[in-house]
Amino acid sequence: MTVDVGRRSRLVPLGQLSTTVYIIVALVVIVAAFALTGPEGRFLSLTNLQAIGRNSAGLLLLAIGLTFVLGAGHIDLSVGANLVLSSVVSATMIVELSGSKSEVAAGLHPNAWFAIAAGVLAALVTGTAVGVINGLLVTRLRVNSFVVTLGTMGIATGAARVITNGSNVPNLPPQLQADIGLRTVAAVPVPLIIALMAGIVGIMVLRHTVFGRHTLAVGSATNAARRAGVNVDRTTMLVFTLAGFLAGAAGFLDITRFGTTAISGHETTMLQALSAVIIGGTSLFGGRASVSGSIFATFIPTVLLAGFVMVGLAPFYQGIAIGAVLIAAVWIDQLRRGRLRPN
Amino acid sequence: MPSTPTQNAPLLTASGLKKSFGHVKALRNADLTIREREVVAIVGDNGAGKSTLISCLSGAILPDEGRITVGGHELELGSIPAAMEAGIATVYQDLAVAPHLSVAENVYLSSEIRRGGLLGRLGVLNRAAMRERATELMDSLGIQLDNVDKPVEELSGGQRQVVAVARAVSRASRLVIMDEPTAALGARQSRIVLDTITATRDRGLSIILVSHDLPRVIEIADRIVVMRLGQVAAELPASEATVARIVGLMLGEQVPSGREATA
Repeated sequence: MTVDVGRRSRLVPLGQLSTTVYIIVALVVIVAAFALTGPEGRFLSLTNLQAIGRNSAGLLLLAIGLTFVLGAGHIDLSVGANLVLSSVVSATMIVELSGSKSEVAAGLHPNAWFAIAAGVLAALVTGTAVGVINGLLVTRLRVNSFVVTLGTMGIATGAARVITNGSNVPNLPPQLQADIGLRTVAAVPVPLIIALMAGIVGIMVLRHTVFGRHTLAVGSATNAARRAGVNVDRTTMLVFTLAGFLAGAAGFLDITRFGTTAISGHETTMLQALSAVIIGGTSLFGGRASVSGSIFATFIPTVLLAGFVMVGLAPFYQGIAIGAVLIAAVWIDQLRRGRLRPN
Repeated sequence: MPSTPTQNAPLLTASGLKKSFGHVKALRNADLTIREREVVAIVGDNGAGKSTLISCLSGAILPDEGRITVGGHELELGSIPAAMEAGIATVYQDLAVAPHLSVAENVYLSSEIRRGGLLGRLGVLNRAAMRERATELMDSLGIQLDNVDKPVEELSGGQRQVVAVARAVSRASRLVIMDEPTAALGARQSRIVLDTITATRDRGLSIILVSHDLPRVIEIADRIVVMRLGQVAAELPASEATVARIVGLMLGEQVPSGREATA
């Protein structure tokens, strides 16, 4: 019997590959359109591209986490609220530890780096804790993840406002922006480097590890996975924990970007990340997921926003454009898969 | 199948199995012996206790009474991991495969082949080895698949079930239980699945097959066990079986030349 396990099998599966290719083409078209219609040379300027990269970093982390959650057949609506809560806890921690009250109020931060290190930890622990809570509620109480994370979204948002009394955390050390958020290495913004490294790890984990296989198996057919010996609850716990951890990391990057918290600036963040993941070829119903697709698709909302601003359109058009792209992407994907499937 | 594995050494012995679900006595004192490299078909009317019996063997159900030995060792009852440990794997009639995963990924689902060393401990897969071994396995089961990287959702129903058989075969060191593996399939697709049974036996495994397809059962099995009212009502070599005779035993008729089991 002749079996072709050679060349063909080394390639990325056809479905994923073509989705990623479509997105890259779409991105190139969008970029070209803005480059041609915007003020000359502005859109493709280094400053603008760096801004797009910086603005994408947090969204990328959320999208990577959501790719695993959706791949396992669940959803996490709480990642945006988790980002905000993690950033608030982190910022509060940093302000507390970076100096005495009077020093901080005067703009002095004698313990800035120690405080920032603690702030990183606080953000990651907070984000992970929210993820663990989501996972426990889904696996132990058997409540649907849509409902669970809708609930924790409200709880996390509320908690962030309780902690700060509704206002943003002021007086963070300037090193956050100067040395992390606005820093570049070889012209690439540091937050983007961090997010892309997480993306590469995400691609490897989903594609090349036991956890990645089990994630997709659970999303594809939970009962079949269980009968085959997959620990379904453990896998489910892990995907929510991972999404929470990455939301925590995004929360920290958020305060390095603005130099303060952005409590009210993330109403649409979760929807942008979720749209990107779905546009990137991950199935809303589980079993099929592509981290690379999510990564490229994440740039669509940020590029659109930057472009609209540059060509003088109100940024509100971003929401309209993303909504349209989301529906079109899912529709095209359904057409394509309908053609692939036999019978 | 001209061999006579009925003389082989006993592999699995179940004795005095009883199981009630409320008032329903699903198993009343069932005894069963499976020999090495033997294909045993379990037949019986609905409610005769077939499913309960094999669920006891696969560890999915804890019997109220009775004992099971595998290879001379007592099997811990009511534990799927213990049954797997003892070399028993089960193929179910449905819900067997993850449609989005490839053939190779499904075959090795939850028993993935990992890289060596640190990477393996981190859970990194050896995809090439999984592909190669899955290809060899499908080949040895006589399955024609051009590519084990194909998502299972692109396969026919029979081929999907064969993937489930391959998974059981790759895991079982002694016995593969097939619980109505063709119940959801058409005639042509059923044949694809049943054809793997001989190949499975040739790999040195014993097989318990539960099926309603009596003509094919007679063709494939070495021995046929007829269950009725929660007990083994009769056993006969497949060479002596006819559909009419089996149906008679299933309905409780006395057939002179059959070896009647004592209740």
